[in-house]
Amino acid sequence: MKKRQKTVSFFLHFLMIFIVALCLFPVLWMCVISIKTVGESITGFNALKVITPTLANYRRLWELIPVWQNAFNSIFTTLIGTITTLFFCALAGFAFAKYHFPGRNALFYFVIATMMVSAEAGAIPLFVIMRRVGMIDSLWSLIVPRMATAVGIFYLRQYMLAVPDEIIDAARIDGCSEFGIFWRVVVPIVQPALASWASLTLIARWNDFFWPILFLRANAKHTLMVSVAQLPVSDGLSTPWQVVLAGTTLVIVPSILIYLILQLAQKSGLTEGSVKG
Amino acid sequence: MIKTLKKYRYPYLFICPFFILFLVFQLIPTVWTFRISFVDWNGLKKMKPVGLANYRLMMNDYMFKDSIRNTAIYWLVSVVLIMVFSVMIATMLNSRLLRARQFFKTATFLPYVCASVAMGLIFGMLFEENAGLVNGIITALGGTRIPWLTSSRYARIPVEVLFVWRLTPWFTQIVLSGLLNIPEEYYEAATVDGASTVQRFFRITLPLLSNILFFCFVTITVDAWKLFNESYVLAGPGSSNTSLFQLMYTTAFKTFKLGYGSALGCVLIVILLLISFVQFAVRRRIGEV
Repeated sequence: MKKRQKTVSFFLHFLMIFIVALCLFPVLWMCVISIKTVGESITGFNALKVITPTLANYRRLWELIPVWQNAFNSIFTTLIGTITTLFFCALAGFAFAKYHFPGRNALFYFVIATMMVSAEAGAIPLFVIMRRVGMIDSLWSLIVPRMATAVGIFYLRQYMLAVPDEIIDAARIDGCSEFGIFWRVVVPIVQPALASWASLTLIARWNDFFWPILFLRANAKHTLMVSVAQLPVSDGLSTPWQVVLAGTTLVIVPSILIYLILQLAQKSGLTEGSVKG
Repeated sequence: MIKTLKKYRYPYLFICPFFILFLVFQLIPTVWTFRISFVDWNGLKKMKPVGLANYRLMMNDYMFKDSIRNTAIYWLVSVVLIMVFSVMIATMLNSRLLRARQFFKTATFLPYVCASVAMGLIFGMLFEENAGLVNGIITALGGTRIPWLTSSRYARIPVEVLFVWRLTPWFTQIVLSGLLNIPEEYYEAATVDGASTVQRFFRITLPLLSNILFFCFVTITVDAWKLFNESYVLAGPGSSNTSLFQLMYTTAFKTFKLGYGSALGCVLIVILLLISFVQFAVRRRIGEV
């Protein structure tokens, strides 16, 4: 029995390491090629031999696309988008979880039902609407439509349900306003849920591609993701792979770092709730 | 009526941003898509009503047929592969024998964090016919080079691989959260009764996961019909790997046929609605709603 368990455990770890390798390999591959000189071979396994590491590909990247401008656009829409969506989803989630207003259940089912047909299917009229209100080429076009999303409301409501009613009643008796209850009582308690939802939203917004190419037509308004996606054709037809992969490294590594940092933050208890026992 | 509104003005106020945004940015566009699908319009000139012409055009459009076939293939293959892989990986992550679980959990989640567009460029290189690593491995094993992205026969494969590679981690997490909810006692009782590992998996784990798996199935289905980034970046020859949603985008915003694009959008909306009706019906039969 003991021996069998050892064999199983060995195969388990072996398989797990293989899967991790499959997960990480394309990313590592990209990082390696992005520091190779353009002259070096990138055919097959030769790609992994770095003879003279260089940052020239990154310098070339800065010549090809307005990196700082694009990075600003990406960071702005990602950050403001995450903060606003977190705020409005939490607010609605709070209302659905903690108030017994007429029509609550029907409205909540309606919110869930809206998840089924996604906004992407109506992209054409949405573009027309955006043009009419003058939001084409405005960074706000990526932020405003998704300030409150059904899935965010659903997710945060689940956590708000666990907030004890006694705390809310106590705050109300102490003369706290309804918004004050939300902001000063409920939000601190559900911080772990907000943090995990924030990390998913941050990454999703940073990786966003469809909405930026739809709404942001001017080069100066492109997000980093759009500029990088256009790299293969931006230099005539011959952008070297090394430079393209320098671009993808530039967009992928930050999201991996953000994810890992937020993972660690959640682990070390920085976001622990404030409900006692 | 007004009294209730006044009494409950705060909760109504708190939820109203969602409903306003939904109305303006989702409901109106969706309804409008149907309207535009009956006109001929380039986005600037006056709309010209054409009745069902856009839909008739669709019936004879080989690009439309290709895109439907491609998306259906993406959908079926990814449902099977993602569900099998995510149950497999989640079961392994949940195993008592696994050490450094947190490391494995984090590492196997990373593909989901990576932008699909950027990964598309990388996969484009890995699947490149002459210099790509995939063909490098195939030739090293004695095979012949496969024109992954230049032949209409193979062009769907890189798209599918990327889609599965990137989404499996997400569903692994969801399945894992389901596994963690299964009480340990069930397994102990089964072990005492002499059930083997395989039996425990098929008799306890899978039935108790059925809700979660159904949720995964629906979500993958919706994601697959909305597939865009992967096939956009890894475009093969002609419409060999174009998805339906991508065809809608190029029709409307590259060739400026907004009417025909909207007709394609309507097909997409109808498909998504059908999926949700089926899921609702199934849930009702199980008695969950």
